[in-house]
Amino acid sequence: MAQPNGTAEAPIEVSSLPTVVGINFGNSYASIAVLTKEGSADCIANEDGERQIACAISFHGEELYIGNQAKHQLVKNSQNTITGFRNLLGKKFSEIPANTLSVSAPVIQHPEVADEPAYKVKVLQASPSPLPRTATNTPAASAAVTPRSEPVQVERVLTVSEVTTIFLQSLIKSAEDFLGKKVQGAVISVPSWFEPVQKDALEKAASDAGITVLQLLEEAGAAAVTTTSGPQPEGLSADRTQLLVDLGASALSLSLLSIRHGLVHSLATLSDHSVGGDALDDKLIKHFAKEFTKKTKVPLTVCPATDTQDKRAEAKLRLALEHTKRTISASPGAATCSVESLKDGIDFTGTITRLRFDMEVRAIYDRVYEKVKELVSAAGLDLYDVDEIVYVGGSASLPGLDETLSQGFPETIVTPFTQGTVVGGGIGDPTTILSRGCALQARILAQLAEGTEEEREVKASFTHGHQYTQAKVTSKTVGFLFPEENAESALGGQWIPAVIKETPVPARRIIAFDVDLGEGEGEKRVGFEVWEAHEGVKIEKVKLPKLEDEEPVEGEEEEEEEEEEVKEKTVEKENLLASLSFVAKQATKKKGARWTTRLEVTTIVDENGALEISAAEIGASGKGEKTTVTVAAA
Amino acid sequence: MASVVQLPIVPPPLPAGWTPPQGSGKSTAPLVERKLLPVGEAYLAHVRRAVHKLTFEEHDK
Ligand SMILES: Nc1ncnc2c1ncn2[C@@H]1O[C@H](COP(=O)(O)OP(=O)(O)OP(=O)(O)O)[C@@H](O)[C@H]1O
Ligand SMILES: [Mg+2]
Repeated sequence: MAQPNGTAEAPIEVSSLPTVVGINFGNSYASIAVLTKEGSADCIANEDGERQIACAISFHGEELYIGNQAKHQLVKNSQNTITGFRNLLGKKFSEIPANTLSVSAPVIQHPEVADEPAYKVKVLQASPSPLPRTATNTPAASAAVTPRSEPVQVERVLTVSEVTTIFLQSLIKSAEDFLGKKVQGAVISVPSWFEPVQKDALEKAASDAGITVLQLLEEAGAAAVTTTSGPQPEGLSADRTQLLVDLGASALSLSLLSIRHGLVHSLATLSDHSVGGDALDDKLIKHFAKEFTKKTKVPLTVCPATDTQDKRAEAKLRLALEHTKRTISASPGAATCSVESLKDGIDFTGTITRLRFDMEVRAIYDRVYEKVKELVSAAGLDLYDVDEIVYVGGSASLPGLDETLSQGFPETIVTPFTQGTVVGGGIGDPTTILSRGCALQARILAQLAEGTEEEREVKASFTHGHQYTQAKVTSKTVGFLFPEENAESALGGQWIPAVIKETPVPARRIIAFDVDLGEGEGEKRVGFEVWEAHEGVKIEKVKLPKLEDEEPVEGEEEEEEEEEEVKEKTVEKENLLASLSFVAKQATKKKGARWTTRLEVTTIVDENGALEISAAEIGASGKGEKTTVTVAAA
Repeated sequence: MASVVQLPIVPPPLPAGWTPPQGSGKSTAPLVERKLLPVGEAYLAHVRRAVHKLTFEEHDK
């Protein structure tokens, strides 16, 4: 048996707010998060000690297994085990590709409902009690209790919706067992490609499970809530460009997000179904199968396997790899992969180091990197324009992926790996980020009032495609230039960005800083120009001495050039909009130092794009007189 | 509440004889359309200001 991926530990202190939960409902795994007293969210383990709960249900005799136990039924009871149902929600039978390779119970046409996908499983059912006797024409009743007869095997047909309901019910039950309270509402994650019919189907399945759905939240949105709530990582501005890398089991999905003081919009998205945990597994299964054959001389052909024995061995390796991959993610040491009776009754234990692991799956990391570059350039940006990488999904827990991606980004890039928040359920843990985001969002929604017309309108704005999600954003960065005598920079002074491009309007930014007023005694002036600027990245090719030979990966990539790109962020002035100048009245001078004054500058962009900039000194006597300029909108 | 970002930057003194240049009379660059993700406290605040027709200052209170 593989080990559970979590522990059922003593309950954390739970919030006194309405009892709401967040559910990350993936196609392969789900997770549940609850709110803590401090207002943060925590992913909880189910009664089997799992935080990542496999989206699988399995019928075995009279038993119904749900989660990872059900997944293990894939080895010997695959015909009665149902997986991969989330992606089929809202789909017609005729829309499901016939050749979908399935390791679990096949999807069939529902025997009664037209064009409805369903599953047929065999279950044991207690045989029905004898028919009730009619008043007439029956033999005298025997006083003896009819013995319960042996359960009989029957076929049961379940729709995708029914399977989803059973599964969601078990998640809610786990949450209720943990909380000791009824769950009053839930936010459930959905992939960005879910169409309205799929969302409707999920909503129905959830409501059949007795769940009040507060919102179906796009995965990118869920991740964004988590990363914009609570303390922000060192070195990150509240205005930033964030790259979301979601590497799950079956797909990679990328989003480039503009985050502007908590407001989020997407600049570009991309998905690729050729990479993910399943693809990683294929590589590793082949690796371990080869090792098995080398050790035992027993032939084993996998990925694809044709022989029944080989198929079973592949299924066993696939299950065992869950543990192997998690070990590789969690610690720098080697990981094992153990399978009892892999083939011909022979047990197998293989070991893999992180170095070897990364080598085996290099092509997948590289593919993700290629796709990241494609995404960023589709948005008209450079990797150097990205400030932060956030990882989502189980397979994004692998440090080798971050190492591969990081090389293309500036050294200042913030990732959960540079922050050390991945392992041990830290805030950057990619496997819990979605459920936590859903829980945080649930808290916001649960607190909304519905008394007045306006309050109801505010609440409605959280529904999909609502008019308030339509926003206008700025297209140029506006900033301040403090001119300088003999300035070194091409700009001619100190540049301070105020409202960067892609900021939704209306917007307000308030910044405070000291201004150097020199050494002289007389009158001291503060002055600066307001510019629209173009921010870019300058790329220079620099010849490099040839590197030590690295281990070549078979025919993967072309030989790297001896030139290296050196990148630098640039700012160019484009439009002078206005300038501000006033006499400093609150300047101070520390002994032996220069005159300085503290400025607070407020920039407001209204809903049409017009600007209002006001500056005031902040001194011992509080805020001084305001000097304001305005710039009209186009 | 209005959040004030404290910057560590200290701009230099003005060059001698600097006079504030006139703005070129230009207006700001045109806005573009985007779709916000309906998530988080900031979105809630954004919608509240719009629905209740509040300025940033009024909303601070
Ligand atoms: N710590 C870990 N290290 C490496 N891989 C992991 C880890 N935890 C889970 N995985 C892998 O991540 C995958 C599951 O990821 P996730 O839960 O994000 O998928 P999903 O969202 O349900 O599926 P998908 O998005 O592909 O439809 C599985 O392949 C699993 O083996
Ligand atoms: Mg996923």
